[in-house]
Amino acid sequence: MLSLDEISVRYGKHLALDRVRLSVREGETVVILGANGAGKSSLLKAVAGLVRADPGGAVTFRGTSVSGLPAHRVLEAGMALVPEGRGIFADLTVEENLLLGAYARRARHGEGKMRELVLDLFPKLAERRRQIVGTMSGGEQQMVAIGRALMSAPDLLMLDEPSLGLAPVVVGELFEALARVRRTGVAILLVEQNVKASLALADRGYLMEVGRIVGEGSAAELRGDPAVQRAFLGLAS
Amino acid sequence: MTLTTALIAGLVLGGTYALVAMGLTLQYGIARIMNLAYGDTIITAAFAAFILQGGLAVNPLLGLALVVPGGFLLSYLIYRLILSHLVARASDRGALEVDSILTTFGLLFVIQGVLLVLFGGNYTSYSFLNVAVDIMGAKVAANRLLALALALSIGLTLYLLLTRTRWGTALRAVAVAPQSAALVGIDVNRAAAFAFALGGGLAAAGGVVISMYQTFTATAGVVFTMKALIVVIMGGVGNLLGALCAGLLLGVVETLVSTYVDPGLTLAATYAIFLVVLLWRPQGLFGRVAR
Ligand SMILES: Nc1ncnc2c1ncn2[C@@H]1O[C@H](COP(=O)(O)OP(=O)(O)OP(=O)(O)O)[C@@H](O)[C@H]1O
Ligand SMILES: [Mg+2]
Repeated sequence: MLSLDEISVRYGKHLALDRVRLSVREGETVVILGANGAGKSSLLKAVAGLVRADPGGAVTFRGTSVSGLPAHRVLEAGMALVPEGRGIFADLTVEENLLLGAYARRARHGEGKMRELVLDLFPKLAERRRQIVGTMSGGEQQMVAIGRALMSAPDLLMLDEPSLGLAPVVVGELFEALARVRRTGVAILLVEQNVKASLALADRGYLMEVGRIVGEGSAAELRGDPAVQRAFLGLAS
Repeated sequence: MTLTTALIAGLVLGGTYALVAMGLTLQYGIARIMNLAYGDTIITAAFAAFILQGGLAVNPLLGLALVVPGGFLLSYLIYRLILSHLVARASDRGALEVDSILTTFGLLFVIQGVLLVLFGGNYTSYSFLNVAVDIMGAKVAANRLLALALALSIGLTLYLLLTRTRWGTALRAVAVAPQSAALVGIDVNRAAAFAFALGGGLAAAGGVVISMYQTFTATAGVVFTMKALIVVIMGGVGNLLGALCAGLLLGVVETLVSTYVDPGLTLAATYAIFLVVLLWRPQGLFGRVAR
């Protein structure tokens, strides 16, 4: 459904992504693993239209090119990003955040159903409808961020380190929620440092190092890969 | 002048300040343009109402229905033809601020020059609803009461639109977090152009309202820009209710000072309040909130 072909991103002279190829199939959950500064966020941003990729490459979504589209049109095409740091509207209420989640034209038709799904997924959001999001705990804010992204009825949900800064219990809840999102048929492209939990969720994964994809495989393969174990799982070889 | 008369006159003036400050806060808060030609949009609208009333016998209330869309359209064109290029090339918010200040400073003189050529530099006014109404023993001109009612109802309508509709919430979202706004599918450039135009429409409404009860000159734009700016900062940038309260406060204080102290001290009083607020609460009386 999504494919990246030879995608490069530069910040000035610094090459943050070097001819990356990657794909996500319909309904699939794919995780991108890599150390700090590997270019994971740059990759998601390039897909979401927040940074411009070099003209040589191509991003294709469901058969049509989305290269160079501005962020609001990428969302309209069916890909929603929960960015690093969540990107919620901290000054607005939970209700207003969800309302804006369904701003896109594609979201209006099934808005009521989506809202039910989101509130079922995160019952806390229903209780806190009128709370200003900036006053919520980190875990609650992450729920708002994911709930808001789901309100746009995406076909592909992209998440950039959603577990960052959350307590272990909350991380557990987060991954349970993502597993439920997955079961609804939404494809997920996940960037994570929590390798164990994300490989348990994902179907497939990619390994990134300094702007390049250096490995890929099924989640089971990656779990057993000594390189992954050394680099990320902290196991002695 | 009795105290009641002075208070009502102050509220009328303050209501007008609040109305025009709301427009400026939309332009600055959402479109991120510091528009120094803002007051000249107000004055242009005042002259338009003057021509409509004097030359074509169009009542200013009907005039509003023509001048406000005119102000909207003109501001939209200014944004699309000139300002959007600054936005496109600005590397950050600071750069855009400097560029827009320089550009609209030039625009101020263009508009002012055209007005001077067309109307000269004299004080202008027209007579509309100039009958006294009795309110709690105080005699107030009906045009002033109408001006206050218009300012408050337009301001309240805008407030409700911005806080109670998805469309208005989207505009506030652009004000507080433009990048996140794009991620929920909001076309931020379009929202900015629209907010700038809407601000221009409010300036035009303010101009017509002012012309109903006050004299004005082609060069008075600067004063209105300054006052609107003061009200915006006092109320908290992007804060519509803050602008309303700060506007009313400023109008009342100015009128009381000019009635009971000395008319020459009104501007001094304005800046004194402004300084106190800035030193005491630099984020504005009501803070920079999105409601
Ligand atoms: N706006 C920017 N300007 C300049 N350099 C940038 C910018 N954003 C990212 N970089 C650089 O690009 C490289 C990749 O950054 P990116 O944020 O994509 O990495 P990441 O894998 O998401 O890292 P982390 O795990 O720390 O979030 C880094 O070297 C970073 O310093
Ligand atoms: Mg990152």
